[in-house]
Amino acid sequence: MSKSRLIKLGLIILVFALVPAILVGFDKGYYYQIATIAAIFMLLAASLHLVTGVAGLLHLGHAALYGVGAYVAAILGAEYGIGFTIGVPLAGLSAAAIAFLVALPTMRLMSIYFAVATLGIGQMLFLIFQNWVGLTKGPNGVMLFSGLNLFGFEIDTDLGIYYVVASIVALSILVLNRLSHSYYGNALRSLREDDQCASAMGINVTVMKIQAFVISSFFAGIAGALWAYTTGYISPNDFQFSQSILILTMVVVGGLGSLPGALIGALLLIILPEMLRSVGDIRNIIVGVMMFGAILFLPKGLFGEVSALNFARRMLGQGWAAKKGEKGIGWK
Amino acid sequence: MFDPYILQQLAIGLSLGMIYALMAIGFTLIFGVLNVVNFAHGEVYTIGAFAGLMAISAFGPPLLVVLFIALAAGAFAGFSLERLAFSPFRRFSDEASLKSRAMREATLMSSLAMSIIAREAMEMIFGSQFQSVDLAYLINKPINIGPITIVNGDLIIFAVTLIMLGGLQWLLKKSPIGLSIRAVSNNALGAKYCGINTDRTIIITFVIGSGMGALAGILVGLYYGAIFPAMGFAPGIKAFVAMVMGGLSSIPGAVISAIILGLSESLSTSFMSSVWSDMVAYGFLLLTLIFFPQGLFGARRDRV
Amino acid sequence: MTAILELDGLTRTFGGLRAVDNVTTQVNQGELFGLIGPNGAGKTTLFNLISGFTPPSSGEVRFKGERITGLSAHKIAHKGMSRTFQNLRVFPNMTVFDNISVGALGMIGVGPFSSLWGGKARAREISERSWEMLEKVGLADHADDLAANLSYGKRKYLEIARALAMKPDLLILDEPAAGMNDSETTELAEFITDLNKSGLTVMLVEHDMGLVMGICERLVVLASGQKIADDVPKVVRQDPGVLEAYLGGDD
Ligand SMILES: Nc1ncnc2c1ncn2[C@@H]1O[C@H](COP(=O)(O)OP(=O)(O)O)[C@@H](O)[C@H]1O
Ligand SMILES: [Mg+2]
Repeated sequence: MSKSRLIKLGLIILVFALVPAILVGFDKGYYYQIATIAAIFMLLAASLHLVTGVAGLLHLGHAALYGVGAYVAAILGAEYGIGFTIGVPLAGLSAAAIAFLVALPTMRLMSIYFAVATLGIGQMLFLIFQNWVGLTKGPNGVMLFSGLNLFGFEIDTDLGIYYVVASIVALSILVLNRLSHSYYGNALRSLREDDQCASAMGINVTVMKIQAFVISSFFAGIAGALWAYTTGYISPNDFQFSQSILILTMVVVGGLGSLPGALIGALLLIILPEMLRSVGDIRNIIVGVMMFGAILFLPKGLFGEVSALNFARRMLGQGWAAKKGEKGIGWK
Repeated sequence: MFDPYILQQLAIGLSLGMIYALMAIGFTLIFGVLNVVNFAHGEVYTIGAFAGLMAISAFGPPLLVVLFIALAAGAFAGFSLERLAFSPFRRFSDEASLKSRAMREATLMSSLAMSIIAREAMEMIFGSQFQSVDLAYLINKPINIGPITIVNGDLIIFAVTLIMLGGLQWLLKKSPIGLSIRAVSNNALGAKYCGINTDRTIIITFVIGSGMGALAGILVGLYYGAIFPAMGFAPGIKAFVAMVMGGLSSIPGAVISAIILGLSESLSTSFMSSVWSDMVAYGFLLLTLIFFPQGLFGARRDRV
Repeated sequence: MTAILELDGLTRTFGGLRAVDNVTTQVNQGELFGLIGPNGAGKTTLFNLISGFTPPSSGEVRFKGERITGLSAHKIAHKGMSRTFQNLRVFPNMTVFDNISVGALGMIGVGPFSSLWGGKARAREISERSWEMLEKVGLADHADDLAANLSYGKRKYLEIARALAMKPDLLILDEPAAGMNDSETTELAEFITDLNKSGLTVMLVEHDMGLVMGICERLVVLASGQKIADDVPKVVRQDPGVLEAYLGGDD
């Protein structure tokens, strides 16, 4: 078996056999909870990676689009009896639709102005979550009692829920992996590097940026729906500015432009604060310290973009080799 | 002629606008010399409020001394902030890297990280709740003027802002420090070649801007009697909005925009619930960025 | 001879400054066309007008007979025009191969859906074309290096290869020899001549006469935004107006 097959098989075994085995071994609700949260945040980090890491748009409102997904799924489920199977894709599509509306006027903005515009939009959505009581129940949040019903099967065990979440997250990350590790990814990277120059290469910069933003928000919306269904209760505070920063920190710590980095960053920032629970609730301060440390001392992140692309090309067999037997350099 | 309620709201809005102006000036000065967004400006405001509060509970000095202590604490915070979150990213001093996207985004994130650390540290020390402020220090003694009632805090805020603005104008126009700040804002590299110590100028700019931000913090803390670690977030964003509306590098533009913002926010409460008043600021921010990339008064030189 | 590019009264003002002032000329199919002028003459501005980076204040640009004034840069690129930049704009944090691939993928086209499903043929085409250009400029050994780590001269070739990967009908080079020594310049001159011989129309900008005089078939001289000469090099060289522009200028 080739090396790339082995690695892929290993990853599948890890996610669908090893982790579940450990969870069953400990058999504590708390561990299942951590595993699901970690999976959801891995998806959030992976989706932010596409806009901020690959396309280079500093996005400070990702949590709000995640919130849109969560609210859509929760409200559809709690008020209209629309279950998981339809609710999840609808949540993704709603977040994507809102992102499209937001993106149309803001994509012309450069760098820090775009960052601040997304911060503003994130805060506006947050105000809606918090204060449009008629729609979102305001600060009280929305309870979602309907269980996780997938194509008519009621999934009510912790293990079953883990499998559903892990499968959806894995599938989504697979898509994001393909988008960033392909010539499409190269096109997005060229926008990050020099968008004027990219337009001289025939790339429609605005359309590309909108695409990246919308796709990323779609997956944030899916993550939101998963969050709503796994916790059964959402409130505005789950989607405030500090959550956007948490996700951004995951991407920065892992390495801007690196998908495996974003996943590692997400794992680290979810699991580390849990392990340090005994010290007190220091999640936010860890976020601040890690973000600062990463920017100052580890600007390429834990698993930098160059290594990540090499890993995808050589280890996962996604690279195109000019001659037979040569190492991969382009994309298949 | 005027509905007294509207007049009342205008008075409140004016005070609010003055506070935003005090903060926006700091933002604008810093943006001027470095072309970066200082995300920790809101925390400097909080630090000013807490420094004043600690002084009050420690030895109960007169109000003027409290204000000076806040100013000094803010100045020190500004100095530390510049050294920790901004100077490490100025390793290269050529034009391209001074204005590069990488530098601007790295400092945006490093100052954001600093703001989180500062806020969380304050929460650990003081708790996230409102602090109790000695009632004698609150600047909310009512004063009746015709049909409306203002408080002495409105007058104090008005006076302090005017003094600071006047002082700043004098500093920028008449003093050598002001000259170097203006030189670095206009052309950092040129200023450097003319023998201006850009590093020192940048530090001084942070010190001045942060001092004014901290002053705004303690004034608001004593005006509303509400001092808590997260108090700086919203005013920080609003001051930023004022800077953007004013055209990023124009101090008069920022001050006028801050007052417009304060007035609109306060007037908006007469036709919608006050929980929505933050929408006004975000709305202004987006509308300005999208439709007036030059700022409302057309001062920007930058590609937005 | 058919014109591939026609400029008609092209003008661009910046405030009071007429950076390009009423320039009318044409570039013929298959030609190696030179544009020279002292620093600040408006050459880069003229290029930006042609390639859609700056809208003209007045005048018209026609490419292959079609009016392209006011079209955005990416649309003009799709019509078959490709350019390099005076101040070297490679994508520094991408590998050499990936840099070139951007030139190819812009023309061949990629989309989110095609990269997920059924885009194999396109990916292969992009890969092969990029590799072809990489070998053409002799950077195949550096395929996997970050563009930022290349030497200055190699980055120049990288930028040209990226422009060539677009398979353009007209290639516009803005001061490609700037910062090169004599032997590098000679080598570059040969490379450009070969490109031209293989059928590509090339428009070349230089501010010093050396390179352009040697290889171009026709020259336009720009001074203070105005065209002061438009002829074969031999004639232009002796033009008194041109000599004065160069001697009187800061060059
Ligand atoms: N965006 C711009 N804004 C204002 N002036 C400009 C701009 N671009 C170019 N110029 C001015 O136009 C003139 C021509 O510049 P340029 O086209 O770069 O000359 P060249 O490439 O021949 O050296 C110069 O005086 C330059 O300062
Ligand atoms: Mg030029």
